[in-house]
Amino acid sequence: MSIEVNGGRRGLTDPEIAAVIMAAVPDKPLETQRKMNYFMKPRGKRINEYEVLCCYSQPTPDWIPGGLDWGDWTQKFHGGRPSWSNESTEMRSSDWLAHRDPAFRWHALYVKDKAEEWRYTDRFLKAYSADGHVRSIDPVWRDEVLGDYLGAFGFYEYGLFNAHSSVVRDCLGDTLRMSSAMIGLDKVDNAQMIQAERTFLSKLVPGFPESTDIPKQEWTKGAIFKGARELVQDIWQATYDWNEILFSGHMICDPIFGQFVRREFFMRLSSYYGDNLTPFFINQMQLYFSQTKGITTDMFYTCLGADVEFGDYNNRLMRAWANKWLPRTVDALKDFMAIYATIPEIKGVSDKAAIEAALVRVFADWKRDFADPINFKVDTNALVKTVLSGLK
Amino acid sequence: MAISTATKAATDALAANPAPVSVGAQEVHRWMQSFTWDFDKNRTKYSTKYKMANDTKEQFKLIAKEYARMESVKDERQFGSLQDVLTRVDAANRVHPKWNESMKIISNFLEVGEYNAIAATGMLWDSATAPEQKNGYLGQVLDEIRHTNQCAYINYYFAKQGQDAAGHNDARRTRAIGPLWKGMKRVFSDGFISGDAVECSINLQLVGEACFTNPLIVAVTEWASANGDEMTPTVFLSIETDELRHMANGYQTVVSIANDEAASKYLNTDLNNAFWTQQKYFTPVLGMMFEYGSHFKVEPWVKTWNRWVYEDWGGIWIGRLGKYGVESPRSLRDAKKDAYWAHHDLFLIAYALWPTGFFRLSLPTQEEAEWYEANYPGWYDMYGKVYDEWRARGCEDPSSGFLPIQWFIENNHPIYIDRVSQVPFCPSYCKGESTLRVLEYNGKKHSFSDQWGERMWLSEPERYECQNIFEQYEGRELSEVIAEGFGVRSDGKTLISQPHTKKDGKLWTLDDIKRINCVFSDPLKAL
Repeated sequence: MSIEVNGGRRGLTDPEIAAVIMAAVPDKPLETQRKMNYFMKPRGKRINEYEVLCCYSQPTPDWIPGGLDWGDWTQKFHGGRPSWSNESTEMRSSDWLAHRDPAFRWHALYVKDKAEEWRYTDRFLKAYSADGHVRSIDPVWRDEVLGDYLGAFGFYEYGLFNAHSSVVRDCLGDTLRMSSAMIGLDKVDNAQMIQAERTFLSKLVPGFPESTDIPKQEWTKGAIFKGARELVQDIWQATYDWNEILFSGHMICDPIFGQFVRREFFMRLSSYYGDNLTPFFINQMQLYFSQTKGITTDMFYTCLGADVEFGDYNNRLMRAWANKWLPRTVDALKDFMAIYATIPEIKGVSDKAAIEAALVRVFADWKRDFADPINFKVDTNALVKTVLSGLK
Repeated sequence: MAISTATKAATDALAANPAPVSVGAQEVHRWMQSFTWDFDKNRTKYSTKYKMANDTKEQFKLIAKEYARMESVKDERQFGSLQDVLTRVDAANRVHPKWNESMKIISNFLEVGEYNAIAATGMLWDSATAPEQKNGYLGQVLDEIRHTNQCAYINYYFAKQGQDAAGHNDARRTRAIGPLWKGMKRVFSDGFISGDAVECSINLQLVGEACFTNPLIVAVTEWASANGDEMTPTVFLSIETDELRHMANGYQTVVSIANDEAASKYLNTDLNNAFWTQQKYFTPVLGMMFEYGSHFKVEPWVKTWNRWVYEDWGGIWIGRLGKYGVESPRSLRDAKKDAYWAHHDLFLIAYALWPTGFFRLSLPTQEEAEWYEANYPGWYDMYGKVYDEWRARGCEDPSSGFLPIQWFIENNHPIYIDRVSQVPFCPSYCKGESTLRVLEYNGKKHSFSDQWGERMWLSEPERYECQNIFEQYEGRELSEVIAEGFGVRSDGKTLISQPHTKKDGKLWTLDDIKRINCVFSDPLKAL
């Protein structure tokens, strides 16, 4: 037979070709080790599929710790700056490839989860609309809080989404890069879910504005989000260190400001104002927050903070970053307190005592999960007092 | 609480039409352009000499959750096939051995491109100012993660179920030792992520994805299936469905800068450099992988190249960008000359350096030699005779003490590395367009094989300072280099790479190599 095969003949199914192939195939495998990346040290007992498919995909020379390749970069930036370099962050590591997503999600698992959330969202919205739940929402809550302020909060999520672009470019490890990209997509998903909710409301409530004009005005010019806007802008564009971007965004800003706004304001209050739509979306955002927390905790505490060589240094640096970003986050929350003046007060729900209790919850969570692991000393009572001074 | 006018209207609307309502992806996406805002510090961290427009659209118009839905459906089809039908028919073990070896390189090297494209599109997401354009790049960031995982899955699958797991099971730590790696890193890694951001987009999307993914990801599926490999078409065609989004991103990058004066000044030069960079590696390497890495041939590489690169890309694709001032690269004509012979020249060198690979290479059989001669008249006199001589000297047998690299030394045919592309060439024994040019800079010699790379180096030598493998391994004995680069199987002594794929052939060990005492020397030092 000819060795040039035309007409789409296939070696697996064409008997003539298959016979030639099988005659050439060794009688038994030439190698006994059948596991890809068998040489690596897994996080658990055995190498799992996530580690097989993700780990060491980064082509990094060994002078970036954790890298397996030899030699230098073959093309550099104009002026000679290398493709990736240790100088892109003040953090130090003995292995930049050590991080693992605690959920061990590679791409297929990640999109499978999110696809199901989309299908469920579609089913929920149909049921919600058919049931007429929208009639029970308090008009002020609906038109001002959801229309304007939830819309404005979408810009916060969108800004933090954009902060991940340079992280995805600059970070030094494969699993870090994949985790950062997924966190970024979750953040833009949050912004899109907020707009989806507003679009949905505009279909159910004649006259409810779908446009982003008023929310954008509120975000860019209003007083309630002033501190948050300036904070997000600086995390996104004024910070160059990719670890500092992740740390300021996900270890300081979002666990305090983001958590308060999402969990303690929109989610907790919504049901009191007859809104059982917003919690559906906020719950998805909280799921993403939880997954992100798992990832960033692994990055900063399990890997960098506990690094055998640089752990002490990294913890000192994280404390310095906390000192830098915490006051700004507290100021953002203080500005946000003005939002309570825009809604009808409900005793025990949106009065000062309830707000204080909510702030205590947020700061206590943050202290336990984020400050204590790096031995960052913080007076949460003083922080709560500062924030409350913003109440109108 | 009194019922508001709007609530009453909602109640009335519900009474009139109680049909369930939801929100579609496009209804959310149409607000995408308004998601951003202006502020003082809003600028990219990655400089570009071009100005990207604020109002650029993107064609796929996906939101995060719809992206996930679409990709999840594709994943279910692809992984379902791999885990069900193909596993049950033992497909991984019914691949021609030559092709099994080629996939060690193809899947691993494509994975590097996909991996680096994650970072590359992260940079473009940062550089773009239009939210829709950012959204398009974001979709690509996620796609590239998908493709990285998919390419890895090929190696994972072959390692677990195929005939020779070595090289599939450890490709990521062994790939750096050989002569094919650094050129690969230049085109698929550093060329995508290091430089002017728009220049990187041109490298990645306008050339890498719009031009070379067609032969690399599409044409390769025909070669794979002809040689018994049904895993590669299953995975690669699924990858290719995303490449359309990436080509659209490249198109939109050009659209976004079309009204900028810099576009008319720089764009065609950047495109020419990007094309030459890419083709300098892919033209010989892809041709070599297809023709020498298979037993059953689909068609001569020069025909494939002409169809995908010259006519489809250089003509139709670039033609469509003509209204934005884009011209076919000036170097396209020189590339066309390389498409005929360069892969034959490269295989001669690659085979001579076989111990530094992580795969098995084999010499053409008699019937393959006839096919080469029929399709490339003059092939036997130039290459076939040499392979016959190597075979006669026992190049496949560990006891022969002969490595083909010795033939180059004995016959005074030094092998150089092009400083810019990092591709090896032998100016005194080749039929392609390579000619030796040597320049000295800061007390160091640099070799070049063509005028286009030489021009790029002369403009910015600091971008191409990387040592080549001869400089890196200078004075080192070959078996030491192999051991240090993890070029051995799990028994710790048998080489992964071998000079044959014979089922009953003997396998070379580190000791066999050590006996020959082959020491690397840098040919530039002799000049």
